[in-house]
Amino acid sequence: MLIRCKMVALFIALLITLTSIPNQLSSQAAPQRVSPPKAHRSGAAAENRAIAIPDTTLAINSPTPMSQRVVHYEIDAKYDAATHAVNATEVLTYHNVTGEALDHFPFHLYQNAFQPKATFVRDSKLMGSRDTGYEKWQSKYYGSEDIKSIEVVGQGDLTKELQFIAPDDGNKDDKTVIDLHVPKAIPNGAYVQFKIAFQTKFPETQARSGWKRDFLLGGQWFPKIGVWWHGSWNCHQYHNTTEFFADFGVYDVKLTVPKNEVIGASGVEVGSAENADNTKTVTYHGDDIHDFAWTVSPRYQVREATYQAQMGPITLRFLMQPAHWSQAERHERIVRDTLDRFEKFYGPYPYKTLTVVDPEPDSAAGGMEYPTFITGGASWIAPAGYKLEPEGVIEHEFGHQYWYGMVATNEFEDAWMDEGINSYTEVKVLSSILGRNTSVIDMYGSTVGDFELQRLFYITWPDFDPMAQKAYDYVTANSYGAITYGKTATVLLTLEGIIGEDTMAKAMHAYFMKYRFTHPAKEDFLKTIEEVSGKDLRWYFNQAVYGSQVLDYEILSANSFPVNWYEEDKTKKDAKKNKGKDGTVYQSYVTLHRKEDFSMPVAVEIKFDDGETVREHWDGQSRWTRFGYVKKAKVVSAEIDPDHSVQLDRNKFNNSFVVQANSHPTYKLSNYWLFVTQLLGQVFAWWAV
Amino acid sequence: MPHTFRIENAKRNVISSGLRMVLANKRYLVWFWLLNLFLAIAGSSPFRASVHPILDHSLYSEGLTQGFRLAEMFELFARPEFGATRAIATPAAWAACLFFLATALFLPGVFAGYASTYRLPREDFFRACARALWRFVRLMIIAAIVMGVIAGLLFWASNALVDKAGESTNERLPFTIHIVALLVIFLIMTTLRIWFDLAEADIVLNDQRAARRSIASAFRHTFRSIGRLLASYVVTTIVAAIALVVGIWCWIHLIPSNSITRAFLLMQFILFSLLIPRFWQRAIAVSYWQEKMLVPVVEVHPIEPAPVVTPAVPEPSPVIPTSPAEFEGS
Repeated sequence: MLIRCKMVALFIALLITLTSIPNQLSSQAAPQRVSPPKAHRSGAAAENRAIAIPDTTLAINSPTPMSQRVVHYEIDAKYDAATHAVNATEVLTYHNVTGEALDHFPFHLYQNAFQPKATFVRDSKLMGSRDTGYEKWQSKYYGSEDIKSIEVVGQGDLTKELQFIAPDDGNKDDKTVIDLHVPKAIPNGAYVQFKIAFQTKFPETQARSGWKRDFLLGGQWFPKIGVWWHGSWNCHQYHNTTEFFADFGVYDVKLTVPKNEVIGASGVEVGSAENADNTKTVTYHGDDIHDFAWTVSPRYQVREATYQAQMGPITLRFLMQPAHWSQAERHERIVRDTLDRFEKFYGPYPYKTLTVVDPEPDSAAGGMEYPTFITGGASWIAPAGYKLEPEGVIEHEFGHQYWYGMVATNEFEDAWMDEGINSYTEVKVLSSILGRNTSVIDMYGSTVGDFELQRLFYITWPDFDPMAQKAYDYVTANSYGAITYGKTATVLLTLEGIIGEDTMAKAMHAYFMKYRFTHPAKEDFLKTIEEVSGKDLRWYFNQAVYGSQVLDYEILSANSFPVNWYEEDKTKKDAKKNKGKDGTVYQSYVTLHRKEDFSMPVAVEIKFDDGETVREHWDGQSRWTRFGYVKKAKVVSAEIDPDHSVQLDRNKFNNSFVVQANSHPTYKLSNYWLFVTQLLGQVFAWWAV
Repeated sequence: MPHTFRIENAKRNVISSGLRMVLANKRYLVWFWLLNLFLAIAGSSPFRASVHPILDHSLYSEGLTQGFRLAEMFELFARPEFGATRAIATPAAWAACLFFLATALFLPGVFAGYASTYRLPREDFFRACARALWRFVRLMIIAAIVMGVIAGLLFWASNALVDKAGESTNERLPFTIHIVALLVIFLIMTTLRIWFDLAEADIVLNDQRAARRSIASAFRHTFRSIGRLLASYVVTTIVAAIALVVGIWCWIHLIPSNSITRAFLLMQFILFSLLIPRFWQRAIAVSYWQEKMLVPVVEVHPIEPAPVVTPAVPEPSPVIPTSPAEFEGS
């Protein structure tokens, strides 16, 4: 019996092992947190059995869903190009996996941000803005998103129950969040279906959404439910420095547009039909995504290609402006190289499509990310050595497919986790493709590397805000940009120096694989780094991530003098006699100073005139320290951070001290300035007299 | 003074005659270049003073000499020790202004020198400068008003056109319109410059005290010979543009990034070359003035004395004494 039992147990074990082999073989490809399709069908309430979220995989190179699908949007939208308006119906199926019954549901109505009394516009005037400054209100700035009716299946029309709320600032004129109380709470595990009729009027492009001439970028355009996160609804108002946060799910979207429009959208195209009224209806399907964007323009020129990714083929679709057609190949090359590096460094790209939009010139639609859909930026004048556009912007927006698209952090509260981590990986990927020192500019003998650009961005506003701060709480839009993008990238580059570049790469890979298709928070990321590195890095994170401390070390002084300096004449005579090699013993001192409030251990390299190099370490705890030497050689130079790994140091000029002054750099720059001054005088005199 | 000028009213090629004047008076170019250089050295000294303490003892600054790390330069400008941009830019702007004023001050001497048949003595050069000083000031004020208003209107119209073109779906249209507009503005402003260059020449060479008369005369001549004069000025401007482009190309491609001396010499060569076309234009104005605006010399025949007409008066008859006593008594 025992033997028989053991045989049965062995057989079962073998069966399990065999069935698990394919999964193990594709462990690289398969996500760690896969929600089995059955979970979607096992609704707790019997009346909800008819409603479910599809477990389709049409748009991904995976046989099973990759995320816990919470939402299913079915939208039927008709676009009126003359009025830049969309009239649509939306059926939203929401799966309550919150662990508790829900009696109200907040929705984002993002396009209502573009109204004069909205928080978005008020913040833009107060904090500054990336694009529209709103110095004077113009009607073309106006956008709106109106829910005409909302019905909850089984509970009737609840349009009258809708109520605008302003959870962040209490602005009663802000209509970017609307809350719906339902008479019957939706129990945990159940589904609820909303049937919504809405109209969205787009503004002229603002915050990467809207129209420009005959172009439209439809981003954040439909009523979108908030996220139940950490025990409550997370549904922030739309601010000028915030982006988005949403649950994963399935999107089925029908877009009816004028027949002459070229259209692109998130997901895969699953149908297209021409209508009698000179329009066409194109249907898209998206799996395991948390947003849906689309674009139309009658003038797009389309380039398509296929990329063989780790999990399967990806269709690359480039919608190019006619004047930029010659750069289509450049766009494709950087997308291919970027995909290659991201899959090698961080993990697989599972989607079947990627649409790259070259947006309308002079529109505020460039440089934006939506799931499987990004906008770049290009100009018809495009020197090869200037790589910020299109290469830099396309790489950056593609990176968001990972940091935002799959690792879907809360962009309202932890902006650094998408923009900043993405800026860090941007440095790594662009360095790998275009060279560390030449990844932004490499023309006419001048170079800029992306790591330098990020650092430069950071040092413009280094000390007003910490990284760990809600995106709408920054002192200015500039501080938000400097900290979320520049500082985060710089902090993580500096971290490489502390834990090692390879360890950091492993940590990033582990973080992506562990948290893709989830909503990780700050500590998830920081703890992953600590776990992978095996180091307690709280001292660093507390200052760099949670604090606004600034790091600035300097070599205060480096000098040498003879031990028997009081016998100077004798020393000189000896030196003459022995042709300079007099055997004089020198006392040398190097003094280090921590100028700001960020302390971290640093290495110091001291060079002597006999060729000897000494490396010291300082824990940086005190405000200053001094190293002294007695040698038959004088100190030549001293340098803090000789490996140049502490990118966070805000002033690198004072990190070193060369005893013998070298005026070459000064004369070089002065020469340029002299030229400019002379030329200015000549131009002035040319026209004025 | 006018008696020392060349008197050549025959039609000639103003470009070549202007160039000959410039080449015959190379010393003016050298002096103005030196003036430009020394004023700029003074104007850029705050920049050097700011940069020295930051860069001279830093290993990090080597990135500026080995190649050119643009980010390092911007980082330098962001340093508080570097000082406010205004503190650096203002002296440079002052140096530019002083060069302009010095040019205005010494330009009458240059006009006189170009028109002179012989090497103009220093005293005559400065005398010309002194005599024309206030006339030049008046002329410059009028020129500034006229050119400023017209330039303002032209740029306003250009911007309006470019904005309008921006509504088009043709991305290159605004750029093309902008370039065409700039070209038109350049031609119009150059025409105005010709007008006031001729007026300056007239003030000095005609020793004209009333600036308005020179302006009026120059206005008539500018539009009478617009094609010829504009073509001459455009040619010389193209020479300047070529000098600048070729110079910068050489700077980028031929000068090693760590060679400061060679870069300095090349830059000064470029700047010296850029002075030539403008002085050439002024010489063209002088040449044109000599040809067309010089007060015509009327041919005056020598005054021949009228023939002396001898009146037909009969010679007096000899007086014959009538008696010997009468003969003795006389």
